[in-house]
Formats: sequence, structure tokens, C-alpha cells
Amino acid sequence: MTEYKKTIGIEVHCELKTNTKMFSTSLNGYQTIANKNICAIDLGYPGTLPIVNKYAVELALKAAILLNCKINRTMHFDRKNYFYPDLPKGYQITQARTPIGVNGYVEIEIDGKTKKIGIHDIHIEEDTAKSIHKEDKSYLDFNRAGVPLIEIVTEPDMKSSSEAMAYLEKLKEILYYADISDCKMEEGSMRCDVNVSISKTEKLGVRTETKNIGSISSVGLAINEEAKRQEEVLENGGSIKEETRRYSELENKTILMRVKETGNDYRYFPEADIPYLTLTEEYIEKVKNDIPIMPNERRKIYKKHEISEINIEKIIQDKTISDYLLNFDDINLKIASNLLLGDIKAYLNKENKKLSDTKLTIEKFKTVVNKLDKGEIPNKVFKDILANLLETEKTFDEIVKDNNIETISDTKALLEIVNNILNNNEPSIIEYKNGHDRILKFLMGQIMKETKGSANPSLVNKILLEEISKR
Amino acid sequence: MSKYLSLSIKEINELLKTKKIKPIDLVNEAFEEIESNKDLNCFITLDKENAYNKARELENKEVDNILFGIPIAIKDNIITKHLKTTCASKMLENFVPIYDATVIEKINSKNMIIIGKTNMDEFAMGSTSQTSYFGPPTNPWNKNMIAGGSSGGSASCISARLVPFALGSDTGGSIRQPASYCGIVGMKPTYGRVSRYGLVAFASSLDQIGPMTTNVYNNALLLNAIVGFDEHDLTSVERKEEDFTRLIGEDIKGMKIAVPNFFLSDIISKEIKENVEKIIELLKENGATVDYVDIKYLDNAVNLYQIIAMGEASSNLARFDGIKFGYSYENPENLEDLYRKSRAIGFGKEVKRRIMVGSYLLSGENATTYYNKALSIRDDMRKSFKDTFQNYDLIIGPTTTSTAYNLGEGLDDPRQTFMDDILVIPVNMAGLPGLNIPIGFSKKHLPIGLHIIGDSFEEAKMYKLASFIEGKLNLELNPLKEVAK
Repeated sequence: MTEYKKTIGIEVHCELKTNTKMFSTSLNGYQTIANKNICAIDLGYPGTLPIVNKYAVELALKAAILLNCKINRTMHFDRKNYFYPDLPKGYQITQARTPIGVNGYVEIEIDGKTKKIGIHDIHIEEDTAKSIHKEDKSYLDFNRAGVPLIEIVTEPDMKSSSEAMAYLEKLKEILYYADISDCKMEEGSMRCDVNVSISKTEKLGVRTETKNIGSISSVGLAINEEAKRQEEVLENGGSIKEETRRYSELENKTILMRVKETGNDYRYFPEADIPYLTLTEEYIEKVKNDIPIMPNERRKIYKKHEISEINIEKIIQDKTISDYLLNFDDINLKIASNLLLGDIKAYLNKENKKLSDTKLTIEKFKTVVNKLDKGEIPNKVFKDILANLLETEKTFDEIVKDNNIETISDTKALLEIVNNILNNNEPSIIEYKNGHDRILKFLMGQIMKETKGSANPSLVNKILLEEISKR
Repeated sequence: MSKYLSLSIKEINELLKTKKIKPIDLVNEAFEEIESNKDLNCFITLDKENAYNKARELENKEVDNILFGIPIAIKDNIITKHLKTTCASKMLENFVPIYDATVIEKINSKNMIIIGKTNMDEFAMGSTSQTSYFGPPTNPWNKNMIAGGSSGGSASCISARLVPFALGSDTGGSIRQPASYCGIVGMKPTYGRVSRYGLVAFASSLDQIGPMTTNVYNNALLLNAIVGFDEHDLTSVERKEEDFTRLIGEDIKGMKIAVPNFFLSDIISKEIKENVEKIIELLKENGATVDYVDIKYLDNAVNLYQIIAMGEASSNLARFDGIKFGYSYENPENLEDLYRKSRAIGFGKEVKRRIMVGSYLLSGENATTYYNKALSIRDDMRKSFKDTFQNYDLIIGPTTTSTAYNLGEGLDDPRQTFMDDILVIPVNMAGLPGLNIPIGFSKKHLPIGLHIIGDSFEEAKMYKLASFIEGKLNLELNPLKEVAK
């Protein structure tokens, strides 16, 4: 029996990270008291007209560029007409005929291979108000009305839930790193609708749309459950209808919301209140140049610095760390990332702080990393002074001094300790000379133990080698 | 009492400056005139309290411009803060807005005094003002007749000399056609000249606010006051400041005038045609050249208008859903019932007809078949106008095919009244400025109007020609004086 193949397309709505709304000057921030950030325009008040948030257009353009889209250099807005209480004007201003970007793609890694997921289009639109249903009443919060959104629509290019999840992770990473959106699915600043169909042949099956899934992992589950449901329907001789469903995390299944009416008609037509916008070559170029270094490029840099794959992904997942590392181009990034991902992150988590809340200046961090790199201080010392580094304005040298931390750099004293250790470990010297390199590490350990970690490791290493060779 | 409002604006200004009269005298006169001409039904709402307050406040201020202290009437689809704005609809019967339209801010900054809100077709949808929820305004030249529409109240109150200035709005002739029927001067400026912010939208790509006055000079003055780029209206246009009166009084010698053949075709009544031809002779005698030209698609204008205007209207009026503002049906069974009943009861017949037709025209394939096609023909029409203006200064013709007619007529045939606007609609389609001035009277002594069309932003040139004709004809345009004769 041939297997059913899944075909998946995804529509993502992302709130743009702007100060103000798409078509008015109200603040863009709906996580506040209901109906606080509103004005006559947001309410669709008679006689009002939309203005265009240029920064929102810039962010959408940035997204279109990053998703490798063809840019519509002359674009306009359209009205999508329907009635719903959360839609103040009775129409939503969106882009139907001239989306800002078309025919793009996102590259994902799947089973060690690169695959392109086609982007059908990316367009700008405004969000609706938020309906809150309590008991037998519905409440409307217009803070969200007019919040700028981009909608990103893929081609039906994904064949499995893991491809869909990889696409979403990638998309999220891009939009987040370019500062286009917060991409917080749990807060609704990134929302995801999934179209799924199954078929045994090349001809695509009838698709259903599962709306507003709350997390990327739920997307994976929802796709599999929906495909399973469709298969059961088909196997029992039924047929799939075009319908809108939602995913219940609790029950791990998709639930019917409404059957799509044929010819659902939004009566799209051009929004005459907003003239055509022209994106000039210079402007597009400028926006392109403003795009920060994106994750894939950062990964390459980290790789060059011999940072492990695991740590690379850990850094990418924490944009503040990744951005912090951008401040340095001539330090040992491997050591730097180890510090940041290890002790510093642990400290920040414990203290519930952000890196920017600390007093760790770029200069200070550079000094520490360089000292560690050259072996001038042992890791232990770093651990001891970490809190001081992060909490005080003092320089590295001042901290070391104030804490009476002395790294034993006195050659004479070290020479004595080294020779004592060597005297007590005669057999090891012979072993070392017979080619067992790891013995050196053992001896180093002994010495560091003796000095309680305060010895300068590179100096110890140097003396140790010299003294062994004398014997 | 003295009739100051029938004096020229310069005379009134002089009297105010020399403190011989106060703004309150003008306000008193306006309200008295309105009171004694109640049968004209020009106003939906009067704003006595604020008008008197403003008049008193102005007594202590310097008379700093020629419109200072002058009463003005505002069409009731222009949003006025704290002053009921009904659009002549039950839907907005009790709607008191929270902001001022940009034109109102400009009027206020000139210290003009808003007297009240004028009657009109419901949501400006009509050509006779008979679709008003508050009953139609009537024509001062014959009170059994229509004032035209949709700015019928503004036209009627100017014609009857109740107030000297009014604002109207023009989507498909709604300033110029009633101006023609009532024998006044009405200008629809170039699309983008005047901010639409605060004009309750009918058809966004066509709507424009404009001045309605007794004479050309006043009209240019009011246009001076209301134009300008507005950051709240992206379709408004940034232009160098100009004085629209600046060409008034100049010689018309050498002016090149075009008359589209369609404008003198058989659809025009004989006496109107004769009057227009007289003007053509007058212009020729005074050194202008007049040629007959063809402009494409003029005969399709009504069809284009119906598709574009109704399509846009169906969307613009969607916000009146019974939830946020306007009429709301009490105790609906459910959400759908609230929508249906609020809109069924709140809107009048003509508005509902246009919403339905408009929705149909934008549905599914129709959007391509009709709406997009109309937009492309509209572009061609615009180009044809532009080509004409390569060789001519101005285009003229009659404003209407007939003079005003009896109240009650044209109500049975919704298509007929559109034909009243067949000559004025193309101007909206092309976004051009259009102006009506009275040029004579029919045998029944009803005003006949001349339509002057300019290239984009050529309003000053239009005023020049209009004022020349006005001066040559020197008609008695006060209907009350005519009746007294």
C-alpha cells in the first residue's frame, strides 16, 4: 500500500517592532490597560484617514529582502471587506495585488541537507482589535487595532512536520535577528496558520487550515494529528472538506471551527486613501545595508573560532550574547563564548539580570579574555572575581589587587614547587619521556593543587617542561 | 434691521474694522434670515450657542483677515467637534464627533463663525437632496423645486442670502450641480487641494470639499482659506501658497477655450444650450478663442461613476455597524441581527441601494469585470482631458442638462437622477477642478449655470474667466429681490 504524503503550507503573521501603529500615531503596545493606546483613526471614526508608518514599511522591506523576495518597487494597499466587531472600519487595510515582496525563499537544514522553502509573498497589513469573551459578553480592546503586521505566506513546499518546524525556527531567527519582530508566539506577536493536505498521488489533496497554533512544537503535533485525521477520513471512504480548524494542545487534536464557504468574498479593491508608494533603488539599498550580521554568517565566524556546534547554537539562541560578541574582533571567541555561556550566564540567571544591567564593560571583558587566553590567569581566579567584574566599576587590575588575589608569577617560588612535585613523582617523568603526553596534565594538576590555583598556568607549563628536560 | 450680509465682503470687512458693526450683528442677521426662511429647510442643525459665544469672543480681537467674523454654513458630512454631524441620516442622527475636520480648523483659524450644518442627500448620495432623512431643502427661486444635491442645503442658503459662505462636498457634481440649480458660484477644487480629513467618506477617490458663495471673488477667498497639504490626508498635495483672487479682473484676451462636443449634444435642454452659446460669443468678442473638441469617454461617465463611487461607498459605510457609533438596534437576537437591523433601519433607501450595488460590483470576478475596468477607462479619460489642456487654458460647457425640477420628481427612477450629473462627473473622474457660475435664467426664471473646467491646480485661471463673465453679465442673482420685483 502506498503511503499518504503530506503537503504543508504556512501563513505567519508577525507584529512589527515599531513605536507606533501602522496607520496612526497611537503607540504600538497592547500589553497595557485596555483601550489606552487608541485614537480616532484606530476606532475607524467617521472622516478619519490612514497615514502610513514609514518605519513599518522599512521593517517589512527588510523582511522581504531577508526572505530573498522580489520587491514590488511600486506598491499600494487594498481593502479587505468583512464584518466583525473587532474590525473597526468594516475593512482591513492590507496588500492583495502588490505585496511588498514576492517569490522568495528560506533555506532550512533538514537531515543534513539544505532545502529551499518558497515564499509566495510577504505583505503589510493592520491587526484587528482583540475580542475578549467573558461569560455571555464580549469585550473589545482596540489597543491592538492597527498594530502593524507582516503576513508571510509560503508555497506548499513542506513535506513533513519537521520541515515545517525547521522553517518556522529559521523564519523566527531571521525576523528576530533583524529586529523586525519580537516573534513571541506565546504572546501572539507571531501567529501561525498551517495548511495541510495529504495525497497518495502527485495531485494535491483538499487542504484544511489550522489556525493560531501556540508554539512551534505544537505546529509539529498539529500537522501530524491533522494528517492522521485526514487519513482516517479518507480510509473510511470519506472526503476532506475545505475548512478552518484549531489545534487543542490539551487533547492533541485539531477541532473544526467552520467550513469554508465557497467563494469567501472579501471584495478586495485598492485603498484610495493611500497613494501608491514607490521604493527607490537608493532606499532599498540603504535598508539592505542596515541589516545586521545575520545568524548564518555569525555561525561561520564562530566555526572559524573553533567553537563547538552545540555552543554555536546556544549563542545563536541567545541574541544578547551573540550581539555582545559582535563587539570584539580580535579576542579568542571560544574563551569569550565559554565565559558568557557558562559562568556569566549562570550569574545573570541567578541574579535575574540582563548583560546590559551589569558593569561588565567591553574593555574589562576583553582584558579578562586576553589574560585567560595567554594563560596569565587561571580560570579559578576568574570565577572568584566574577561578581566583582559584573557589579563594580573597577578595572580588572584593581579588582585583582583589592581582593589580594595574587597570581604566583614568582619564578623562584614556582621553581621550588615544581621540583618538589617532580621529586615526588619520579616514575611519571619516565612515563612522560616514554611518550605519554597526558602525564604532563597530571603533573600540572598537582602543581595547581599545591598553589591552590593561583599560579600562572603558562608559566608553570614553561618551567615544568624546562625542569623535566633537565632530568 | 440692516442687511449687512448682502454687502460685499470688502464692505463688511471695512465696517468690522472701523467697529461700525460687530460680528454679533452678522450672526444676528444670519439667524433671523434662517428663521424667516425656515421653509427652505437648509439646515439640519443650528449652532446658536457657539456662534454667539464666538461672535462675542471676537469683539476683543483684531480684525486680521477679510473673512474675520463672517458667518459660514457647513455641509453636514464635514466633522465638527461637539456639533452634531448627521450626514442627513438616521444612522448618525445623534452623532456628536470628538474632533474637527481639517477644513473646520482652518475656518476657525480665520475666525469665521460657524452658523450650523446644512441639509444634504443622505451620506451625499443623491442629486436632489431628497434622500435626506430630514426632508429636502428647497430652491429659493421656486420653493416647490429641488435645490439639487447633494450639497442642496449649502446651495439653497447661499442663494437665499441666509449666510454669505458655505462649504459643500463634491463626489460627482454635488457642489456644482446644486450651485447651478440655485444660481450661485460653486467650486470643486483639484483632487488633493483640500484635505479630506474629517469629511465623512462617500467615494474616497472622488470626494473633495469646496467653497459655495454668491460671487466669484468670495469663492476664491474661501478657497484661499481651506486649501493646503495636510499630514492627516496622504492624498492632499503640497503646493506653493497662492492667492486664488490674483487673476480676477485680468483681461481674457488670448485665452484658449475648448468646448467638448458632447457638452452641447442633444442631451442638453435647448435654452441651456442657447445660454452657453451666448457666452461662447461673448468670449470670442472679447478676444478669446473657442474651439470644439472631443474628449474620450464623456458619455460613459455615469457608468464609471456608478461603479467606482458605489464600490468605494459600500466599503466606506461598512463602519456603521451598530457597534461603535451611530444608530444601534436595541435587543438584537445575535450579532448578525444587530448588523442587519441597525443597517436596515439606520440607512435610507438610496444609501442601501448603493451599498448593495457597490458590494455586488466588487464581488468575486465582478471586481475585475467592472471595478478594475472602470479604473482603467478612468485613466484614459484623465489622459484625454490632459491632452486637451496641452492646447487649451480652460474647458467650458453647461453644468447641467436641465434646470431645477419639481420636488418629488426623479424619486421613482434611481438611474434618472444620475443623469443630472452627467456633465459634472467627468471632472471628479479626472481629479480636475470644476466651477459653476450662473449665466442666465430659463423661461421659468430658473438659474442656468456655466461649467468651467481647469487643468489640475489651475483654479486661479478659472476664477479669472468666471469673474470676467460675472462682470459682463451683471445678473441679479438674489431670488428674494427678483421676487420683489
